[in-house]
Amino acid sequence: MGELTFAGVDGIIILSAFAIIMLVIGYFSGRGEKNIHESLSGYYLAGKNLGIIALFFTLFATQYSGNTIVGYAPTAYRTGFSWLQSISFMTIIIGVYLLFAPRLYVIAKKRNFVTPTDWLQHRFNSKGVTLLAIFLMLWGLGNYLLEQLVAIGQAVSGMTGGTIPYQVAVIVFVFVMLAYEWMGGMKAVAFTDVMQGIVLLVGIIAFVAGGIYLAGGNFGSITQFIAETEPAKLAVPAAEVNINWLSMLVLVGLGASIYPHAVQRIYAAKSEKTLKKSFARMAWMPLITTGLVFIVGIIGIKLFPGLEGGDSEQLVGLMANEIASINSFFYWIMIIFFGGIVAAIVSTADSVLLSFSSLISNDVYGKFINPNASEHRKVMVGKIIGIIAIFGLLWVAWNPPGTLYEIFVLKFELLVQVFPAFVLGLYWKRLDGKAVFWGMVIGAIVAGILTFTGNKTIYGIHGGIIGLALNFVICVAGSYLSSTSVKKDPVLEEDMNAVNL
Amino acid sequence: MNKDVKEPIRKKWIWIGLVLITLGNVPWYFSDSMVEPYVFGFPLWGFIILVFSIILSAYLSWICLTQWKIVEDEEEANK
Repeated sequence: MGELTFAGVDGIIILSAFAIIMLVIGYFSGRGEKNIHESLSGYYLAGKNLGIIALFFTLFATQYSGNTIVGYAPTAYRTGFSWLQSISFMTIIIGVYLLFAPRLYVIAKKRNFVTPTDWLQHRFNSKGVTLLAIFLMLWGLGNYLLEQLVAIGQAVSGMTGGTIPYQVAVIVFVFVMLAYEWMGGMKAVAFTDVMQGIVLLVGIIAFVAGGIYLAGGNFGSITQFIAETEPAKLAVPAAEVNINWLSMLVLVGLGASIYPHAVQRIYAAKSEKTLKKSFARMAWMPLITTGLVFIVGIIGIKLFPGLEGGDSEQLVGLMANEIASINSFFYWIMIIFFGGIVAAIVSTADSVLLSFSSLISNDVYGKFINPNASEHRKVMVGKIIGIIAIFGLLWVAWNPPGTLYEIFVLKFELLVQVFPAFVLGLYWKRLDGKAVFWGMVIGAIVAGILTFTGNKTIYGIHGGIIGLALNFVICVAGSYLSSTSVKKDPVLEEDMNAVNL
Repeated sequence: MNKDVKEPIRKKWIWIGLVLITLGNVPWYFSDSMVEPYVFGFPLWGFIILVFSIILSAYLSWICLTQWKIVEDEEEANK
């Protein structure tokens, strides 16, 4: 993000205010709740007691990051109307949740799961599957966290006009995040998400209003301008774009719903009613989030024609400068909006970090290193390793990559390989641990090789989807070949009939 | 099986509906000339995709609220 002329001291004031609010929320979430630090589900799942407001906003603020705005608006700017796909690929996530969340919620409550791995361990009872899944999930989470750390720095130093340099910005917000997370765990994360989500929503709506005002007050005139200057951005997409579009729907839908922090929000719901109401609302959010961000990108084509590659990444900052100069109302709205972007990034990063720590606590330490440790100790280990991981990733983050979108796809490629084990395992008794293991290994290797050799997509289909297809085939074929009859496992029988209990 | 229990995975029509809406949501079925007329500033094809996006949101939201009920009665009774 470029330097914002409107930013500076005012930006610092708003950012400091946001930081203080987050810390206060964190402090109050943790105060008086001894249970938070003594039990895994208390710290990582807010005691499985999240109500509708907190659950909805934590789903929202976690799923939509600052990147959704800072990265997607330039994409819409560069590709034009075919970026309408960003609305549906965020909506389809809810459809994928419907495949597994209803049953997983019931089983998770009954069996007291803390992490997604708990389900895999319970279902397959195989060290290989468990370890491999932990590895893939930690990889995905680590990569995602790294991306958020890079984004925080860019957003803050942009907003403060470079007054606060990139490194200082990241360090300050990382400390704020670590502090409230340390104090209140998931409860603090969810409650700060309420504030962070609201600020983000208000900011986007104001941004679109300001943008349309600047562009002449009429969306039709913007399209007219595009038709005259860059008709390709209005054209019906070519076949390869459409294949890629469908592939994005599948990749994001399957990948985003299986994110460990997403799955843990299913576990953390207070009740089925709370969970389904939250999802029902989430289904509408893409229209007013990625949908409005898409509009921002399109408006940008008229306001700042001719930006290429890296320059177009500055679009949101450029537009914010213009909008802020309309009048003092918009000036302050833009500052709050940029604060909101930072808040949105932090709200995603905190959830990812929490999930990362929970995998360390509950899975790596609790299942393999020291299963007999007290829950207090397990929580502590997760917290501390989480902090170490953050500083390790920061070290990497000092050399930020060029385009945010690139890493976004990379993390899904591997993570999505856990999907067959996770979802097929819920419904198909015959699914065999060995087949699952080899499916994951080969799926991940294929996806990784395709991505790293520069073949991120083949005929528009993402490498991760090709790996996943192979993974599914191996799971199914392997399960049929490996055992001739299905053993009766009483626990499995019970899970498969969870609905009858 | 308890008749009041509703689980989306067991209802085939939900998934057929979802696939159909999803297919409608990808602009593979337009001819190149379907840019005009413009509707609310959207090229015609884009507008139709937008309508499908709204249908997708409405559909999924509705399914969540009406076709999913496994332990709700039990949980609400225990409150």
